[in-house]
Amino acid sequence: MSAPAASPSVLTLRGVHKRFGDVHALRDVTLEVRPGTVHALLGENGAGKSTLMRVAFGLVRPDAGTIVVSGSPMATPFTPLQAIARGIGMVHQHFTLVSAMTVAENVALGASGRYAPDVVAARIRDIGERTGLVLDPAARVSDLPVSAQQRCEIVKALARDVRVLILDEPTAVLAPDEAAALLQWVRHFADADPSHAVVLITHKLRDALAMADDITVLRRGQRVLCAAARECTEASLADAMLGPDERARALDEEVVPHMTSHDDSVGAHHEVVFADALDVRDTRGVMRVKRASFAVRTGEIVGVAAVEGSGQHELLRAVAGLLPTTSGRLRVPDDIAFVPEDRHRDALLLDASLTENLALRDAGTRRGRLPWAEFAQRTRDLLDQRDVRAASATVLARTLSGGNQQKFILARALDDAPPALVVENPTRGLDFRATAAVHDALRDARDAGIAILLYSSDLDEVLQLADRVLALHDGELRAVPRDRDIVGRAMLGAAS
Amino acid sequence: MITPLDDFLAAAVRTATPLALAALGECITERSGVINIGLEGAIICGAFAATVTAGAVGGSSGVAAGFAAGAVAGVLVTLLFMLFTVYLRADQIITGTAITLFALGLTGLLYKTVYGTTGVGLTIPTTGELPIPGLSQLPVVGRAFFAQPLVTYGLYLVVPLLAWWFARTHAGLALRATGESPDAALAAGVQPRRVQALAVLTGGAFAGVAGATLVLAQSGTFVEGMSAGKGFIAIAIVVLGRWSPIGVAGAALLFGGASALQYLFQSLGWREVPYQLFLALPYVLTLLVLARASARAQAPAALARRELTLG
Repeated sequence: MSAPAASPSVLTLRGVHKRFGDVHALRDVTLEVRPGTVHALLGENGAGKSTLMRVAFGLVRPDAGTIVVSGSPMATPFTPLQAIARGIGMVHQHFTLVSAMTVAENVALGASGRYAPDVVAARIRDIGERTGLVLDPAARVSDLPVSAQQRCEIVKALARDVRVLILDEPTAVLAPDEAAALLQWVRHFADADPSHAVVLITHKLRDALAMADDITVLRRGQRVLCAAARECTEASLADAMLGPDERARALDEEVVPHMTSHDDSVGAHHEVVFADALDVRDTRGVMRVKRASFAVRTGEIVGVAAVEGSGQHELLRAVAGLLPTTSGRLRVPDDIAFVPEDRHRDALLLDASLTENLALRDAGTRRGRLPWAEFAQRTRDLLDQRDVRAASATVLARTLSGGNQQKFILARALDDAPPALVVENPTRGLDFRATAAVHDALRDARDAGIAILLYSSDLDEVLQLADRVLALHDGELRAVPRDRDIVGRAMLGAAS
Repeated sequence: MITPLDDFLAAAVRTATPLALAALGECITERSGVINIGLEGAIICGAFAATVTAGAVGGSSGVAAGFAAGAVAGVLVTLLFMLFTVYLRADQIITGTAITLFALGLTGLLYKTVYGTTGVGLTIPTTGELPIPGLSQLPVVGRAFFAQPLVTYGLYLVVPLLAWWFARTHAGLALRATGESPDAALAAGVQPRRVQALAVLTGGAFAGVAGATLVLAQSGTFVEGMSAGKGFIAIAIVVLGRWSPIGVAGAALLFGGASALQYLFQSLGWREVPYQLFLALPYVLTLLVLARASARAQAPAALARRELTLG
């Protein structure tokens, strides 16, 4: 099919194929972005959304398929340089900023000739005035909060007169108010000029329905739906994303918070983790948590809600015994378990077997010979009991899917029934199914009496799982009611 | 009248010149995210090529030809390193070590082949000191900084120029971004591979000129293995100079000074102190300064990384 001649699409990808080894990441995918519109690209993790847009930006070379920008077909190989020259800009989910450089240097990067900081700074201020995306040109990117880094990415694109803006999961790292403001800005940008358009990669059905004109859904590398947003419903989109079988469960998971198990008649809930006026400094000596007082009792999940860099990283590590406290009182059991957010870096040896990974858990406290047979048996039991899909206990951790890796890490942490557990972003990067499985495992642990302290950068996840919520803003912790609006405000430091 | 201090300072600047040249080149290379341990190899190749060429051409044009040949030789041997590390993404440390060992062996072999056992003799034209009228008469610093060979004066221009280029040109930004985050550079339309290739070759040219300086402005002859670890010292100088051209020049001067201390102490008559102690001084100095500085050291984040981009 071809675009109608009357209104040529600003960006067309036609018949795109891409294989990575054995994985068919994209199969004959076609995407047409009409001028002046917001086009939502939906799909589960691994459905091919990001890969498709990396093709559009010249970062991934497709095996087959054509790219047409404003009516003219692009020659191969198509590079980011050409994409930028054609007015395409992309804001990646994992920002592509040079954190050691200033905002101005990042914005200027990629041009040629002399670099005049003053000129670039003036341009950034000018863009700030016109669009409301205000930034300090002289600030170092590593000093900026996440939301400002994202503004920097967008300003970088705008400084090059971008017309087609591709945003990859832009709201994932933002607090609710910031996310709402960003989506509003996106709508405004698309409406501002008929040559503008936005591709919004997301897995949030609500965002897509609220913001987009057109919606394309990918499932396992194939386009399964392409329609005007007003013809779609949450149900029809979820159907398309998941396939009909998985829909009921996923929607239940996303929309309806589970009943919490707080039943005061069941014995006394005693405090397992207790902190009083706790101060924590980070490894550079900067005070990150100020006079935090809280408790986590048996059989409850306490959720921490915060925007990136509010001190949650340090708070969780202090409770887990990985970071010394500066002052105040902290009482935690010795065998508290910790599940860090970066499972590849901090939780697993990817090139070691599952048995070896299990053996790692208490490696620091053991002496003498390693009882490998016992470890192997425990690993096999774990795989059975916790529904971790792995061929055997001897396969490398790398061979497991992200969801199964996380289930394994959680199972390992819970193996000795620790009295308390600290979890950080337990479902980062996981798809619906794996997320649901991890949530179930956490609730089961809670129901078994374990005291759980949870942080997630996804506020909805905190609200779904937590029995009580603590909001952390700029190192100051306070208990807040489990209400999306109130928590969202408290995260940003607004008085309730 | 010339005091021991004048001698010491002049020797410090003279010793620092080849170090500064090699270290500035390595600074450019490392800012692109590549660490070239083959620097030593490029220096010795530059020294050998300069010897042969200057000897063959002869006269004052022989000196110029020698420097040019040194640069070319530095680029050629570094080209090998560049192809393996930048395009085939081989391990930088292993490749660099191999290049250094290869170059030391090759120049030794060629030296014997060309000159036999008699050696080069005194047939090599050299560049003398070129005192700048007026400036060289200044007390203390005059003779040290302004009665040196032309190549040292060249550094006085190159250092600030390079600092300006890093900070105030888009090419400089692209270089630094490639060393910090090749992904970010690529996404911004920079071609990280090309940037690294050019940076590595430029570093090779600087190292080749450093080698030529050893022969044409200092010893006046070629000796097997005459680079004597200067490539490795230059790599330490880059760390000490915090990857900034001005800092690198200062660090090179510090090393030159440490090496020149032996002349000062000798002229003061401290003959009972073994000279090996003075030879060890620059290295001890490196360890001390690096140990104190490492907490604040800011190496390019992607230095020595094999995979260029994640995509």
